Amino acid sequence: MNSPVPVMIPMDLWDEEGEGVIATWLCKTGERVDEGAALAEVMYEKASMEIAAPASGRLLILIEAEAPVHRGQLIARIEA
Amino acid sequence: MSVTKRRLTIAKAMSEAIAAAMDKDPSVLVLGEDIGRLGGVFGTTQGLLDRFGADRVRDTPISETAFIGAAVGLAASGMRPIVELMFVDFFGVCMDAIYNLAAKQSYFSGGRVPCPMVLMTSVGGGYGDAGQHSQCLYATFAHLPGLKVVMPSNSHDAKGLMLSAIADPNPVVFMFHKALQGMGWLGTVPGSIVHVPVEDYTVPIGRAQVAKPGQDITLVGVGITVHYALEAANSLAAEGIDAEVLDLRTIAPLDRDAIAASVRKTRRLIVVDDDYTSFGLSAEVMASAVECSVDWLSTPSRLAYPDVPVPFSPALEHPLLPSASKICERVRSLLRRRAA
Repeated sequence: MNSPVPVMIPMDLWDEEGEGVIATWLCKTGERVDEGAALAEVMYEKASMEIAAPASGRLLILIEAEAPVHRGQLIARIEA
Repeated sequence: MSVTKRRLTIAKAMSEAIAAAMDKDPSVLVLGEDIGRLGGVFGTTQGLLDRFGADRVRDTPISETAFIGAAVGLAASGMRPIVELMFVDFFGVCMDAIYNLAAKQSYFSGGRVPCPMVLMTSVGGGYGDAGQHSQCLYATFAHLPGLKVVMPSNSHDAKGLMLSAIADPNPVVFMFHKALQGMGWLGTVPGSIVHVPVEDYTVPIGRAQVAKPGQDITLVGVGITVHYALEAANSLAAEGIDAEVLDLRTIAPLDRDAIAASVRKTRRLIVVDDDYTSFGLSAEVMASAVECSVDWLSTPSRLAYPDVPVPFSPALEHPLLPSASKICERVRSLLRRRAA
């Protein structure tokens, strides 16, 4: 069995150290997602960016919408 | 083989529709406050400035009087402007251009000078922004001949209604509810985020849709109140009550046939409206319903925002808004009255 694939806030999503926020999850925990599908929208300094699924599988959300996030943070897992 | 779901927020769906129209037709332009570099305070114009440039996507000074007036002129001279009135509450300074110029242009010119403009504007409260940033004012605009008024409850309808609005030869007021936009700071109703096809399609203006079929009672909503009604219908189903939810999608022209069809079947009606109660959308829907011959099982009823300015304090504001639990209570009381 494959180990879960982490969904992270990419380190290059914004340049500074500041906090962003998960604006909204586009998918739910338990749902099957395809690699490349948009999973969530993240806001930083009023700019909105999408987080894409790094793999196909079942989504497990770890950080709920409206929570602050930083670059490199683990926000979900995708289980095969 | 699963088809990848393409979930979009209403904000993204609106941006995508505008981009598609701009791609096809160089006369489509966007004007407004913070619609360029920022992509719209409510995310309605994301990516447009980079893609189409500052000649077609123009940030304006804070003068609705000037830039909405300019849009009416642009529309009269062959362009198809889309303007954003950031909050519907700000209509006061630009209403002459909207209701005396845009709405009447085609009529006054014997149909020779159309006015193909879209006025998109945010509505609704619930997030503590007080009395000048939280109103809905559906009826204020829908009352005026020459204006069409639409409002999506989900991203699929947002894209289709926006493409219809841009193609329309006359002014369309495209309202969007802040709590459905998918901007984190306003909260987002998850039911508004649905699959949106990549290709272009239209949702016809003037056509309501049954969001959930049912037999026992009709719940009419538009925008966010559709989601309250669906949540209520879901709870009521557990009690054996089968509610139908009608999503108006267009406020003017109102789909009176869809209202009639639903109430003839259920013979009970509650209209849910987050705009002020008196002289409003809910009254118009009820009038349409009572004008058709229905042997009512209970008196048609409305659940709307009281006739007071929106308070700043959440402790005061939240109890005034319609909600799923208020709808459930009202439905139970209507059905009890019948049983008694």
